[in-house]
Amino acid sequence: MSKKIDETSGWLQRFAAWVDGDREPPDRTLLVMERRPHRDFRPTEEEFERREKDRLRKFFNWYPIAATVICVVMAAILLTTVMNMPGFGDEDNPINNEVSERYLEHGAEETGSENVVTAMIIGYRGFDTLGESCVLFLAVAAVMILLLRDEKNTTGRELHQLEREEAGAREHADLILQQVAKVLTPFIFLFAIYVLLNGETSPGGGFSGGTILGAGVILFSAAFGVQRTQRFMNRRTYSVVRTFGLMLYAVLYGIYIFIGANGLPNHLAGMILLIDLAVGLVVACTMYGFYALFSRGEI
Amino acid sequence: MIVLEYILLIGLIVCAIAAPLCKRLLAAVIVYMAFSLMMAVLWSLLQSPDLAITEAAVGAGVTSILFFLTLKKVHALKGTHDE
Repeated sequence: MSKKIDETSGWLQRFAAWVDGDREPPDRTLLVMERRPHRDFRPTEEEFERREKDRLRKFFNWYPIAATVICVVMAAILLTTVMNMPGFGDEDNPINNEVSERYLEHGAEETGSENVVTAMIIGYRGFDTLGESCVLFLAVAAVMILLLRDEKNTTGRELHQLEREEAGAREHADLILQQVAKVLTPFIFLFAIYVLLNGETSPGGGFSGGTILGAGVILFSAAFGVQRTQRFMNRRTYSVVRTFGLMLYAVLYGIYIFIGANGLPNHLAGMILLIDLAVGLVVACTMYGFYALFSRGEI
Repeated sequence: MIVLEYILLIGLIVCAIAAPLCKRLLAAVIVYMAFSLMMAVLWSLLQSPDLAITEAAVGAGVTSILFFLTLKKVHALKGTHDE
């Protein structure tokens, strides 16, 4: 940190030093400004306190009024918009155009999916969903950047406290939570897999199934602790599954676009299933990753 | 069915008004969770079961868990030893 950066060193080194947070060489003019003694303008304690109290009182007087006004105005705007919207389920609504007609009439044969919603999400608008999966992936990456523990951002004291908390949780395990989790977790996993793999024919699909799967893993992790979760979900498995899901989706959808596009014979009826699986893996990993990173800072 | 829908809609409005008025943050999160749950039932009554499943899992489940974790991190849960 204290290494000197002189003017002659290359811009690359200076940039690296700037990224690392090293100080620029002190500016002479600033130094002069700093040296000048402060003007003695400190208010006394009582006056400071009084002024602070005054400000707080003003804030608490105005805050509810401002909040109410903003809420009422927003609600009025939204309500007038809703009033002016066409009625729910009317025949001549603008959404009942040729696009939805096409989806409803030809969806099953063009994408091989009985469920029109899945046909739309994964088939016709699969590119959107690919973007959404990327957003989820990046969200976990961003949370990792902020919250992941390593030796650089954790002091020994914090680690010690964390260990103590975990030991306490292990000794005084919540009996009700554990028993309930023991009964419920297999069924949650089963239901998640059912929803995930049955997205073609029944409501559900990648997003909902993945969320349920993630919730199941969260329940298991909350009830039985980190060690038992890490038997099947350590950091390596986690990143492999997450990346595999996204890559599988990208590859499959690429193939889907180039082979199964409109006008070509559709041999890819099973493709929806695999894409659903990929989305489900990404979503489940996102949910569990958020939980693990928020609660312990590691996966 | 239509009566159930009206009951749920009234519940939604009550929850939406109650959530910001709660003094305790934990209560606010739980009210928000109830809002999500009623919304999920409403979605399935409006014949969009896909949305209902996702709303129940994300809105009532995972979001609330993340809120609880955040409250625990900032020591806003009552009954924890370091409050």
